[in-house]
Amino acid sequence: MSQEMLVLLVKSLWETTYMVAVSGFISALLGIPLGIILVTTTKGHILENTSLNTVLGAIVNAARSTPFIILMVAIIPVTRLLVGTSIGTNAAIVPLSIAAIPFVARIVESALKEVDYGVIEAAQAMGASPREIITKVLIPEALPAIVLGLTLTIISLIGYSAMAGAIGGGGLGDLAIRYGYQRFRADIMLITVVILIAQVQIVQSTGDYLSNRLNKK
Amino acid sequence: MIRLQDIEKVYHSDNGTIHALKGVNLTVAQGEIFGIIGTSGAGKSTLIRCINMLETPTKGSVIVDGQNLTSLNEQELREERKKIGMIFQHFNLLSSRTVYQNIAFPLELAKRSKEEIDKEVLHLLELVGLSDKKDQYPAQLSGGQKQRVGIARALANHPKVLLCDEATSALDPQTTKSILELLKDINRKFQLTIVLITHEMQVIKEICNQVAVIEGGKIIEQGKVIDIFTQPQANTTKEFISSIINHNLPDFFKDIILSPTSTAESNLILRLSFIGHSTEEPIISSMVRRFNIDASILYGNIDHIQTVPFGTLIVELSGEEVALQQALSYLKTRELGIEVIGYVARNARVAG
Repeated sequence: MSQEMLVLLVKSLWETTYMVAVSGFISALLGIPLGIILVTTTKGHILENTSLNTVLGAIVNAARSTPFIILMVAIIPVTRLLVGTSIGTNAAIVPLSIAAIPFVARIVESALKEVDYGVIEAAQAMGASPREIITKVLIPEALPAIVLGLTLTIISLIGYSAMAGAIGGGGLGDLAIRYGYQRFRADIMLITVVILIAQVQIVQSTGDYLSNRLNKK
Repeated sequence: MIRLQDIEKVYHSDNGTIHALKGVNLTVAQGEIFGIIGTSGAGKSTLIRCINMLETPTKGSVIVDGQNLTSLNEQELREERKKIGMIFQHFNLLSSRTVYQNIAFPLELAKRSKEEIDKEVLHLLELVGLSDKKDQYPAQLSGGQKQRVGIARALANHPKVLLCDEATSALDPQTTKSILELLKDINRKFQLTIVLITHEMQVIKEICNQVAVIEGGKIIEQGKVIDIFTQPQANTTKEFISSIINHNLPDFFKDIILSPTSTAESNLILRLSFIGHSTEEPIISSMVRRFNIDASILYGNIDHIQTVPFGTLIVELSGEEVALQQALSYLKTRELGIEVIGYVARNARVAG
Protein backbone atom coordinates (compact mmCIF):
# COMPACT_ATOMS: atom_id res chain seq x y z
CA MET A 1 0.00 0.00 0.00
CA SER A 2 1.29 3.41 -0.93
CA GLN A 3 2.16 6.19 1.44
CA GLU A 4 -0.67 8.15 -0.10
CA MET A 5 -3.21 5.49 0.78
CA LEU A 6 -1.99 5.37 4.33
CA VAL A 7 -2.46 9.11 4.72
CA LEU A 8 -5.95 8.72 3.31
CA LEU A 9 -6.76 5.97 5.79
CA VAL A 10 -5.54 7.96 8.77
CA LYS A 11 -7.50 10.98 7.61
CA SER A 12 -10.66 8.91 7.19
CA LEU A 13 -10.23 7.30 10.56
CA TRP A 14 -9.88 10.72 12.12
CA GLU A 15 -13.01 11.94 10.29
CA THR A 16 -15.07 9.02 11.51
CA THR A 17 -13.83 9.42 15.04
CA TYR A 18 -14.49 13.14 14.95
CA MET A 19 -18.03 12.77 13.57
CA VAL A 20 -18.92 10.05 16.03
CA ALA A 21 -17.39 11.82 19.02
CA VAL A 22 -19.04 15.16 18.39
CA SER A 23 -22.46 13.77 17.47
CA GLY A 24 -22.24 11.30 20.35
CA PHE A 25 -21.51 14.15 22.73
CA ILE A 26 -24.34 16.32 21.39
CA SER A 27 -26.84 13.46 21.43
CA ALA A 28 -25.93 12.61 25.03
CA LEU A 29 -26.18 16.25 26.02
CA LEU A 30 -29.70 16.56 24.64
CA GLY A 31 -30.86 12.93 24.71
CA ILE A 32 -30.24 12.32 28.41
CA PRO A 33 -32.42 15.23 29.59
CA LEU A 34 -35.06 14.22 27.05
CA GLY A 35 -35.02 10.66 28.41
CA ILE A 36 -35.33 11.98 31.95
CA ILE A 37 -38.34 14.08 30.96
CA LEU A 38 -39.90 11.09 29.21
CA VAL A 39 -39.69 9.04 32.42
CA THR A 40 -40.53 11.61 35.05
CA THR A 41 -43.59 12.97 33.25
CA THR A 42 -45.34 9.61 33.03
CA LYS A 43 -48.45 9.07 35.09
CA GLY A 44 -47.73 8.72 38.77
CA HIS A 45 -44.09 9.79 38.46
CA ILE A 46 -42.42 12.72 40.17
CA LEU A 47 -43.21 15.33 37.50
CA GLU A 48 -46.39 13.83 36.08
CA ASN A 49 -47.44 15.65 32.91
CA THR A 50 -49.15 13.24 30.57
CA SER A 51 -49.78 15.67 27.72
CA LEU A 52 -46.13 16.73 27.53
CA ASN A 53 -45.19 13.07 27.74
CA THR A 54 -47.45 12.14 24.84
CA VAL A 55 -46.19 14.95 22.61
CA LEU A 56 -42.51 14.23 23.30
CA GLY A 57 -43.10 10.52 22.86
CA ALA A 58 -44.65 11.12 19.45
CA ILE A 59 -41.79 13.36 18.31
CA VAL A 60 -39.20 10.83 19.46
CA ASN A 61 -41.01 8.04 17.65
CA ALA A 62 -41.31 10.04 14.47
CA ALA A 63 -37.61 10.86 14.48
CA ARG A 64 -36.68 7.28 15.20
CA SER A 65 -38.80 5.78 12.47
CA THR A 66 -37.32 7.97 9.71
CA PRO A 67 -34.55 6.04 7.89
CA PHE A 68 -31.22 7.77 8.41
CA ILE A 69 -30.40 8.23 4.77
CA ILE A 70 -33.72 10.04 4.25
CA LEU A 71 -33.40 12.08 7.43
CA MET A 72 -30.00 13.22 6.29
CA VAL A 73 -31.33 14.60 3.02
CA ALA A 74 -34.57 15.90 4.46
CA ILE A 75 -32.92 18.15 7.01
CA ILE A 76 -30.40 19.71 4.65
CA PRO A 77 -31.99 23.19 5.15
CA VAL A 78 -31.53 22.84 8.90
CA THR A 79 -27.95 21.71 8.41
CA ARG A 80 -27.26 24.73 6.22
CA LEU A 81 -28.75 26.99 8.84
CA LEU A 82 -26.62 25.50 11.61
CA VAL A 83 -23.24 24.92 9.93
CA GLY A 84 -23.51 27.14 6.87
CA THR A 85 -23.04 24.24 4.46
CA SER A 86 -24.65 20.88 3.75
CA ILE A 87 -21.46 19.21 2.65
CA GLY A 88 -18.54 17.96 4.72
CA THR A 89 -17.76 16.36 8.04
CA ASN A 90 -19.24 19.15 10.12
CA ALA A 91 -22.41 19.07 8.08
CA ALA A 92 -22.72 15.32 8.70
CA ILE A 93 -22.69 15.91 12.42
CA VAL A 94 -26.10 17.58 12.29
CA PRO A 95 -28.13 14.63 10.93
CA LEU A 96 -26.07 12.18 12.99
CA SER A 97 -26.91 14.08 16.18
CA ILE A 98 -30.56 14.49 15.26
CA ALA A 99 -30.87 10.78 14.60
CA ALA A 100 -29.07 9.84 17.81
CA ILE A 101 -30.87 12.19 20.22
CA PRO A 102 -34.18 10.26 20.24
CA PHE A 103 -32.23 7.00 20.33
CA VAL A 104 -30.38 8.12 23.45
CA ALA A 105 -33.63 9.43 24.91
CA ARG A 106 -35.32 6.03 24.61
CA ILE A 107 -32.29 4.22 25.98
CA VAL A 108 -32.06 6.55 28.96
CA GLU A 109 -35.81 6.22 29.44
CA SER A 110 -35.64 2.44 29.68
CA ALA A 111 -32.58 2.61 31.94
CA LEU A 112 -34.35 4.97 34.33
CA LYS A 113 -37.50 2.87 34.31
CA GLU A 114 -35.44 0.03 35.74
CA VAL A 115 -34.83 2.04 38.90
CA ASP A 116 -37.10 0.59 41.57
CA TYR A 117 -39.86 3.07 42.34
CA GLY A 118 -39.48 2.19 46.02
CA VAL A 119 -36.12 3.94 46.07
CA ILE A 120 -37.70 7.07 44.59
CA GLU A 121 -40.44 6.86 47.19
CA ALA A 122 -37.84 6.56 49.94
CA ALA A 123 -36.13 9.71 48.66
CA GLN A 124 -39.48 11.52 48.58
CA ALA A 125 -40.13 10.42 52.14
CA MET A 126 -36.80 12.00 53.09
CA GLY A 127 -37.94 15.29 51.62
CA ALA A 128 -36.00 15.18 48.34
CA SER A 129 -37.14 17.57 45.62
CA PRO A 130 -37.76 16.30 42.07
CA ARG A 131 -34.41 17.79 41.04
CA GLU A 132 -32.61 16.01 43.87
CA ILE A 133 -34.36 12.77 42.99
CA ILE A 134 -33.16 13.08 39.39
CA THR A 135 -29.56 14.00 40.20
CA LYS A 136 -29.03 11.97 43.37
CA VAL A 137 -31.23 8.94 42.82
CA LEU A 138 -32.34 8.28 39.24
CA ILE A 139 -29.10 9.03 37.39
CA PRO A 140 -26.63 7.41 39.82
CA GLU A 141 -28.83 4.32 40.16
CA ALA A 142 -29.25 3.96 36.39
CA LEU A 143 -25.70 4.95 35.47
CA PRO A 144 -24.44 1.46 34.58
CA ALA A 145 -27.37 0.99 32.20
CA ILE A 146 -26.98 4.51 30.79
CA VAL A 147 -23.29 3.84 30.07
CA LEU A 148 -24.19 0.66 28.21
CA GLY A 149 -26.84 2.57 26.29
CA LEU A 150 -24.39 5.29 25.29
CA THR A 151 -21.97 2.59 24.17
CA LEU A 152 -24.69 1.22 21.93
CA THR A 153 -25.37 4.71 20.62
CA ILE A 154 -21.72 5.27 19.71
CA ILE A 155 -21.60 1.96 17.88
CA SER A 156 -24.75 2.87 15.95
CA LEU A 157 -23.19 6.22 15.13
CA ILE A 158 -20.10 4.51 13.72
CA GLY A 159 -22.46 2.61 11.42
CA TYR A 160 -24.48 5.68 10.48
CA SER A 161 -21.37 7.75 9.89
CA ALA A 162 -20.49 5.46 7.00
CA MET A 163 -23.63 6.71 5.30
CA ALA A 164 -22.62 10.30 5.86
CA GLY A 165 -20.22 9.80 2.96
CA ALA A 166 -23.24 10.31 0.76
CA ILE A 167 -23.24 13.99 1.63
CA GLY A 168 -19.50 14.29 1.46
CA GLY A 169 -19.02 13.72 5.13
CA GLY A 170 -15.90 11.68 4.65
CA GLY A 171 -14.85 8.98 7.05
CA LEU A 172 -14.02 5.31 6.72
CA GLY A 173 -17.33 4.32 5.16
CA ASP A 174 -16.86 6.91 2.46
CA LEU A 175 -13.35 5.63 1.82
CA ALA A 176 -14.55 2.06 1.54
CA ILE A 177 -17.17 3.02 -1.05
CA ARG A 178 -15.06 5.32 -3.13
CA TYR A 179 -11.89 3.28 -3.19
CA GLY A 180 -12.85 -0.19 -2.11
CA TYR A 181 -16.03 -0.50 -4.12
CA GLN A 182 -15.94 1.98 -6.95
CA ARG A 183 -12.24 1.52 -7.73
CA PHE A 184 -12.15 -2.21 -7.00
CA ARG A 185 -9.53 -1.88 -4.27
CA ALA A 186 -10.30 -4.98 -2.26
CA ASP A 187 -7.34 -4.28 0.05
CA ILE A 188 -8.76 -0.86 1.00
CA MET A 189 -12.17 -2.38 1.51
CA LEU A 190 -10.71 -5.03 3.78
CA ILE A 191 -8.65 -2.60 5.81
CA THR A 192 -11.54 -0.19 6.42
CA VAL A 193 -13.79 -3.03 7.48
CA VAL A 194 -11.15 -4.34 9.85
CA ILE A 195 -10.62 -0.89 11.30
CA LEU A 196 -14.36 -0.40 11.76
CA ILE A 197 -14.67 -3.76 13.50
CA ALA A 198 -11.74 -2.92 15.77
CA GLN A 199 -13.26 0.45 16.55
CA VAL A 200 -16.57 -1.12 17.53
CA GLN A 201 -14.78 -3.72 19.64
CA ILE A 202 -12.82 -1.09 21.52
CA VAL A 203 -15.91 1.02 22.17
CA GLN A 204 -17.91 -1.99 23.35
CA SER A 205 -15.17 -3.27 25.66
CA THR A 206 -14.62 0.14 27.16
CA GLY A 207 -18.37 0.56 27.70
CA ASP A 208 -18.69 -2.86 29.31
CA TYR A 209 -15.74 -2.18 31.56
CA LEU A 210 -17.06 1.19 32.71
CA SER A 211 -20.56 -0.15 33.27
CA ASN A 212 -19.22 -3.04 35.34
CA ARG A 213 -17.10 -0.72 37.41
CA LEU A 214 -20.15 1.42 38.16
CA ASN A 215 -22.49 -1.44 38.87
CA LYS A 216 -22.67 -2.20 42.59
CA LYS A 217 -25.66 -4.51 42.44
CA MET B 1 -48.26 13.49 67.99
CA ILE B 2 -50.17 12.23 64.98
CA ARG B 3 -53.82 12.88 64.31
CA LEU B 4 -55.63 11.60 61.28
CA GLN B 5 -59.11 13.02 60.78
CA ASP B 6 -61.71 11.51 58.46
CA ILE B 7 -59.10 10.37 55.98
CA GLU B 8 -60.55 9.20 52.71
CA LYS B 9 -58.60 8.06 49.69
CA VAL B 10 -60.13 7.31 46.33
CA TYR B 11 -58.08 6.08 43.38
CA HIS B 12 -59.37 6.62 39.88
CA SER B 13 -58.10 4.25 37.28
CA ASP B 14 -59.23 3.01 33.91
CA ASN B 15 -60.95 0.06 35.52
CA GLY B 16 -63.09 2.17 37.80
CA THR B 17 -62.56 3.80 41.15
CA ILE B 18 -61.15 2.21 44.28
CA HIS B 19 -62.16 3.51 47.66
CA ALA B 20 -59.01 2.61 49.60
CA LEU B 21 -59.72 4.51 52.82
CA LYS B 22 -63.22 5.25 53.98
CA GLY B 23 -63.01 7.77 56.77
CA VAL B 24 -60.14 6.82 59.07
CA ASN B 25 -59.64 8.52 62.42
CA LEU B 26 -56.52 7.79 64.43
CA THR B 27 -54.62 9.43 67.21
CA VAL B 28 -51.10 8.39 68.11
CA ALA B 29 -49.59 9.76 71.30
CA GLN B 30 -45.96 10.87 71.71
CA GLY B 31 -43.60 8.00 72.47
CA GLU B 32 -46.07 5.28 71.56
CA ILE B 33 -45.48 2.29 69.33
CA PHE B 34 -48.68 2.14 67.36
CA GLY B 35 -49.41 -0.91 65.22
CA ILE B 36 -51.83 -1.07 62.34
CA ILE B 37 -52.70 -4.58 61.26
CA GLY B 38 -54.69 -5.72 58.28
CA THR B 39 -54.72 -8.24 55.47
CA SER B 40 -53.29 -7.23 52.10
CA GLY B 41 -55.60 -4.83 50.34
CA ALA B 42 -57.11 -3.60 53.58
CA GLY B 43 -55.66 -0.13 53.00
CA LYS B 44 -52.86 -0.16 55.55
CA SER B 45 -50.14 0.79 53.06
CA THR B 46 -52.20 3.69 51.82
CA LEU B 47 -52.89 4.74 55.38
CA ILE B 48 -49.25 4.87 56.47
CA ARG B 49 -48.36 6.76 53.27
CA CYS B 50 -50.96 9.35 54.14
CA ILE B 51 -49.07 10.15 57.34
CA ASN B 52 -46.11 11.57 55.40
CA MET B 53 -48.28 12.49 52.42
CA LEU B 54 -46.61 10.14 49.96
CA GLU B 55 -50.28 9.59 49.23
CA THR B 56 -52.39 12.71 49.31
CA PRO B 57 -55.68 11.98 51.03
CA THR B 58 -58.75 12.76 48.95
CA LYS B 59 -60.43 14.10 52.04
CA GLY B 60 -59.53 14.71 55.68
CA SER B 61 -56.54 16.14 57.45
CA VAL B 62 -53.20 14.80 58.63
CA ILE B 63 -51.71 16.52 61.64
CA VAL B 64 -48.20 15.60 62.72
CA ASP B 65 -46.73 17.37 65.74
CA GLY B 66 -49.30 20.15 65.50
CA GLN B 67 -48.61 20.80 61.82
CA ASN B 68 -51.44 20.20 59.36
CA LEU B 69 -49.64 18.54 56.46
CA THR B 70 -52.65 18.67 54.16
CA SER B 71 -52.50 22.47 54.09
CA LEU B 72 -48.84 22.79 53.09
CA ASN B 73 -47.34 23.50 49.67
CA GLU B 74 -44.74 21.20 48.09
CA GLN B 75 -41.74 23.03 49.51
CA GLU B 76 -43.12 23.19 53.06
CA LEU B 77 -44.16 19.57 52.87
CA ARG B 78 -40.63 18.51 51.93
CA GLU B 79 -39.28 20.30 54.98
CA GLU B 80 -41.83 18.54 57.21
CA ARG B 81 -41.01 15.17 55.69
CA LYS B 82 -37.42 15.56 56.86
CA LYS B 83 -38.80 15.25 60.38
CA ILE B 84 -40.60 11.99 59.62
CA GLY B 85 -38.46 8.90 59.13
CA MET B 86 -39.65 5.93 57.14
CA ILE B 87 -38.46 2.37 56.62
CA PHE B 88 -39.72 -0.09 54.03
CA GLN B 89 -40.38 -3.76 53.47
CA HIS B 90 -37.85 -3.92 50.63
CA PHE B 91 -35.45 -1.48 52.35
CA ASN B 92 -35.23 0.80 49.30
CA LEU B 93 -31.55 1.56 49.72
CA LEU B 94 -29.56 3.22 46.95
CA SER B 95 -27.60 0.41 45.34
CA SER B 96 -24.98 2.77 43.95
CA ARG B 97 -24.08 4.10 47.39
CA THR B 98 -22.17 2.48 50.22
CA VAL B 99 -23.73 1.94 53.63
CA TYR B 100 -22.07 5.15 54.81
CA GLN B 101 -23.31 7.12 51.80
CA ASN B 102 -26.82 5.75 52.16
CA ILE B 103 -27.05 6.96 55.73
CA ALA B 104 -25.52 10.28 54.69
CA PHE B 105 -28.16 10.77 51.98
CA PRO B 106 -30.91 12.40 54.08
CA LEU B 107 -28.26 14.59 55.72
CA GLU B 108 -27.09 15.74 52.29
CA LEU B 109 -30.69 16.58 51.46
CA ALA B 110 -30.85 18.60 54.67
CA LYS B 111 -27.73 20.50 53.47
CA ARG B 112 -25.59 19.60 56.45
CA SER B 113 -21.84 20.16 56.36
CA LYS B 114 -19.42 17.33 55.64
CA GLU B 115 -18.14 17.31 59.23
CA GLU B 116 -21.64 17.15 60.68
CA ILE B 117 -22.58 14.35 58.29
CA ASP B 118 -19.47 12.37 59.18
CA LYS B 119 -20.08 12.68 62.89
CA GLU B 120 -23.74 11.79 62.59
CA VAL B 121 -23.26 8.83 60.27
CA LEU B 122 -20.55 7.23 62.41
CA HIS B 123 -22.76 7.60 65.44
CA LEU B 124 -25.74 6.03 63.64
CA LEU B 125 -23.62 3.16 62.35
CA GLU B 126 -22.70 2.40 65.91
CA LEU B 127 -26.32 2.63 67.03
CA VAL B 128 -27.44 0.00 64.52
CA GLY B 129 -24.30 -2.11 64.96
CA LEU B 130 -22.89 -1.80 61.44
CA SER B 131 -19.71 0.19 62.00
CA ASP B 132 -17.63 -2.50 60.30
CA LYS B 133 -19.81 -2.47 57.18
CA LYS B 134 -19.63 1.21 56.40
CA ASP B 135 -17.85 0.90 53.05
CA GLN B 136 -19.84 -2.04 51.73
CA TYR B 137 -22.60 -1.77 49.18
CA PRO B 138 -26.18 -2.87 49.96
CA ALA B 139 -25.82 -5.86 47.60
CA GLN B 140 -23.20 -7.27 49.98
CA LEU B 141 -25.50 -7.15 53.02
CA SER B 142 -28.08 -9.56 54.41
CA GLY B 143 -31.73 -8.54 54.70
CA GLY B 144 -31.43 -7.74 58.38
CA GLN B 145 -28.35 -5.61 57.81
CA LYS B 146 -30.09 -3.75 54.99
CA GLN B 147 -32.98 -2.94 57.27
CA ARG B 148 -30.52 -1.69 59.89
CA VAL B 149 -29.11 0.67 57.28
CA GLY B 150 -32.70 1.69 56.50
CA ILE B 151 -33.32 2.43 60.16
CA ALA B 152 -30.10 4.42 60.51
CA ARG B 153 -31.01 6.39 57.40
CA ALA B 154 -34.50 7.08 58.73
CA LEU B 155 -33.10 8.34 62.03
CA ALA B 156 -30.44 10.57 60.51
CA ASN B 157 -32.41 13.81 60.73
CA HIS B 158 -33.64 13.12 64.28
CA PRO B 159 -37.25 12.58 63.27
CA LYS B 160 -40.19 12.94 65.63
CA VAL B 161 -41.97 10.02 64.07
CA LEU B 162 -40.79 6.79 62.48
CA LEU B 163 -43.08 5.07 59.98
CA CYS B 164 -42.49 1.37 59.37
CA ASP B 165 -44.05 -0.04 56.23
CA GLU B 166 -44.04 -3.84 56.70
CA ALA B 167 -40.47 -3.41 57.90
CA THR B 168 -40.00 -7.03 58.91
CA SER B 169 -42.20 -8.81 56.37
CA ALA B 170 -39.29 -9.73 54.13
CA LEU B 171 -37.16 -11.05 57.00
CA ASP B 172 -36.87 -14.43 58.66
CA PRO B 173 -38.26 -14.83 62.20
CA GLN B 174 -34.92 -14.49 63.95
CA THR B 175 -33.93 -11.36 62.05
CA THR B 176 -37.43 -9.98 62.59
CA LYS B 177 -36.89 -10.35 66.29
CA SER B 178 -33.59 -8.47 66.28
CA ILE B 179 -35.03 -5.66 64.15
CA LEU B 180 -38.02 -5.35 66.49
CA GLU B 181 -35.64 -5.23 69.45
CA LEU B 182 -33.75 -2.44 67.77
CA LEU B 183 -36.96 -0.50 67.15
CA LYS B 184 -37.99 -0.96 70.76
CA ASP B 185 -34.58 0.28 71.91
CA ILE B 186 -34.81 3.34 69.73
CA ASN B 187 -38.31 4.03 70.97
CA ARG B 188 -37.12 3.96 74.57
CA LYS B 189 -33.88 5.81 74.01
CA PHE B 190 -35.24 8.72 72.01
CA GLN B 191 -38.90 8.66 73.05
CA LEU B 192 -39.54 8.30 69.34
CA THR B 193 -43.13 7.76 68.22
CA ILE B 194 -43.34 4.73 65.94
CA VAL B 195 -46.20 3.81 63.63
CA LEU B 196 -45.94 0.43 61.97
CA ILE B 197 -48.12 -1.53 59.64
CA THR B 198 -47.96 -5.27 59.39
CA HIS B 199 -49.98 -8.36 58.65
CA GLU B 200 -48.27 -10.33 61.39
CA MET B 201 -49.88 -10.32 64.84
CA GLN B 202 -46.56 -11.46 66.27
CA VAL B 203 -45.05 -8.06 65.46
CA ILE B 204 -47.89 -6.27 67.25
CA LYS B 205 -47.52 -8.56 70.23
CA GLU B 206 -43.77 -8.06 70.48
CA ILE B 207 -43.51 -4.29 70.47
CA CYS B 208 -46.75 -2.32 70.17
CA ASN B 209 -48.60 -0.48 72.93
CA GLN B 210 -51.60 0.37 70.81
CA VAL B 211 -53.11 -1.43 67.88
CA ALA B 212 -55.69 -0.65 65.24
CA VAL B 213 -57.22 -3.29 63.00
CA ILE B 214 -58.01 -2.12 59.51
CA GLU B 215 -60.36 -3.85 57.11
CA GLY B 216 -61.89 -2.63 53.87
CA GLY B 217 -60.49 0.86 54.38
CA LYS B 218 -61.92 1.29 57.85
CA ILE B 219 -60.57 0.89 61.35
CA ILE B 220 -62.75 -1.83 62.82
CA GLU B 221 -61.15 -2.13 66.20
CA GLN B 222 -58.63 -0.13 68.16
CA GLY B 223 -57.18 -0.10 71.65
CA LYS B 224 -54.40 -1.19 73.94
CA VAL B 225 -52.67 -4.32 72.72
CA ILE B 226 -53.36 -6.24 75.92
CA ASP B 227 -57.09 -5.45 75.71
CA ILE B 228 -57.38 -6.37 72.07
CA PHE B 229 -55.54 -9.63 72.70
CA THR B 230 -57.63 -10.66 75.64
CA GLN B 231 -61.00 -9.39 74.45
CA PRO B 232 -61.08 -9.19 70.68
CA GLN B 233 -64.44 -8.08 69.34
CA ALA B 234 -64.39 -8.19 65.55
CA ASN B 235 -64.02 -11.47 63.70
CA THR B 236 -61.00 -10.32 61.74
CA THR B 237 -59.28 -9.39 64.97
CA LYS B 238 -60.05 -12.81 66.42
CA GLU B 239 -58.60 -14.44 63.36
CA PHE B 240 -55.39 -12.45 63.61
CA ILE B 241 -55.07 -13.30 67.27
CA SER B 242 -55.82 -16.97 66.75
CA SER B 243 -52.66 -17.10 64.65
CA ILE B 244 -50.67 -16.74 67.84
CA ILE B 245 -53.08 -17.36 70.71
CA ASN B 246 -55.43 -20.25 70.42
CA HIS B 247 -58.97 -19.27 71.32
CA ASN B 248 -60.58 -22.31 69.77
CA LEU B 249 -61.45 -25.45 71.66
CA PRO B 250 -58.98 -28.26 71.21
CA ASP B 251 -60.05 -30.86 68.69
CA PHE B 252 -60.96 -33.59 71.16
CA PHE B 253 -64.08 -31.65 72.18
CA LYS B 254 -65.53 -32.32 68.79
CA ASP B 255 -66.86 -35.75 69.72
CA ILE B 256 -68.07 -34.86 73.19
CA ILE B 257 -71.66 -33.84 73.82
CA LEU B 258 -71.73 -30.68 75.88
CA SER B 259 -74.86 -29.71 77.76
CA PRO B 260 -75.51 -26.17 78.95
CA THR B 261 -77.12 -27.28 82.24
CA SER B 262 -75.68 -29.20 85.10
CA THR B 263 -76.91 -32.54 86.43
CA ALA B 264 -75.81 -34.50 89.43
CA GLU B 265 -73.67 -36.72 87.29
CA SER B 266 -71.78 -34.17 85.21
CA ASN B 267 -68.43 -32.46 85.17
CA LEU B 268 -67.99 -28.77 84.49
CA ILE B 269 -65.70 -27.58 81.71
CA LEU B 270 -64.42 -24.03 81.96
CA ARG B 271 -62.12 -21.78 80.08
CA LEU B 272 -60.17 -19.43 82.31
CA SER B 273 -58.11 -16.56 81.05
CA PHE B 274 -55.56 -14.85 83.20
CA ILE B 275 -54.02 -11.47 82.70
CA GLY B 276 -51.19 -9.93 84.63
CA HIS B 277 -50.83 -10.71 88.30
CA SER B 278 -53.67 -13.20 88.58
CA THR B 279 -51.45 -15.64 86.70
CA GLU B 280 -49.22 -15.71 89.75
CA GLU B 281 -51.96 -16.64 92.24
CA PRO B 282 -52.55 -20.30 93.08
CA ILE B 283 -56.26 -20.05 92.23
CA ILE B 284 -56.83 -23.59 91.07
CA SER B 285 -55.19 -25.31 93.98
CA SER B 286 -56.93 -23.13 96.56
CA MET B 287 -60.26 -23.80 94.87
CA VAL B 288 -59.62 -27.54 94.92
CA ARG B 289 -58.84 -27.47 98.65
CA ARG B 290 -61.72 -25.22 99.54
CA PHE B 291 -64.55 -27.01 97.80
CA ASN B 292 -63.18 -30.50 97.80
CA ILE B 293 -63.38 -30.99 94.09
CA ASP B 294 -60.97 -32.28 91.46
CA ALA B 295 -59.58 -30.27 88.66
CA SER B 296 -57.81 -31.53 85.62
CA ILE B 297 -56.22 -29.31 83.05
CA LEU B 298 -57.23 -30.18 79.52
CA TYR B 299 -55.41 -27.43 77.76
CA GLY B 300 -53.11 -24.68 78.85
CA ASN B 301 -51.15 -21.86 77.37
CA ILE B 302 -49.26 -19.03 79.00
CA ASP B 303 -47.78 -16.30 76.94
CA HIS B 304 -46.40 -12.82 77.41
CA ILE B 305 -47.64 -9.74 75.64
CA GLN B 306 -44.43 -7.81 76.06
CA THR B 307 -44.03 -7.95 79.86
CA VAL B 308 -47.60 -8.81 80.81
CA PRO B 309 -48.23 -12.52 81.28
CA PHE B 310 -51.39 -13.78 79.68
CA GLY B 311 -52.72 -17.31 79.85
CA THR B 312 -55.61 -19.54 78.93
CA LEU B 313 -56.58 -22.75 80.68
CA ILE B 314 -59.32 -25.20 79.90
CA VAL B 315 -60.13 -27.18 83.04
CA GLU B 316 -62.55 -29.93 83.87
CA LEU B 317 -63.93 -29.83 87.39
CA SER B 318 -65.52 -32.85 88.99
CA GLY B 319 -67.21 -33.19 92.37
CA GLU B 320 -70.55 -32.69 94.09
CA GLU B 321 -72.97 -30.63 92.04
CA VAL B 322 -73.30 -28.04 94.83
CA ALA B 323 -69.55 -27.85 95.29
CA LEU B 324 -69.07 -27.23 91.57
CA GLN B 325 -71.50 -24.30 91.64
CA GLN B 326 -69.75 -22.86 94.71
CA ALA B 327 -66.41 -23.22 92.98
CA LEU B 328 -67.79 -21.42 89.95
CA SER B 329 -69.04 -18.51 92.06
CA TYR B 330 -65.67 -18.41 93.81
CA LEU B 331 -63.84 -18.14 90.50
CA LYS B 332 -66.13 -15.36 89.41
CA THR B 333 -64.95 -13.24 92.33
CA ARG B 334 -61.35 -13.49 91.17
CA GLU B 335 -59.74 -11.38 88.49
CA LEU B 336 -60.19 -13.87 85.74
CA GLY B 337 -61.92 -14.27 82.46
CA ILE B 338 -64.38 -17.15 82.81
CA GLU B 339 -66.31 -18.90 80.13
CA VAL B 340 -68.47 -21.93 80.88
CA ILE B 341 -67.98 -24.24 77.97
CA GLY B 342 -70.53 -26.78 79.22
CA TYR B 343 -71.19 -29.88 81.23
CA VAL B 344 -70.27 -33.36 80.21
CA ALA B 345 -71.48 -36.67 81.55
CA ARG B 346 -68.98 -37.93 84.09
CA ASN B 347 -68.00 -40.97 82.12
CA ALA B 348 -68.04 -39.36 78.73
CA ARG B 349 -64.31 -39.13 78.65
CA VAL B 350 -61.33 -39.89 80.75
CA ALA B 351 -60.00 -36.61 81.94
CA GLY B 352 -56.39 -36.06 81.16
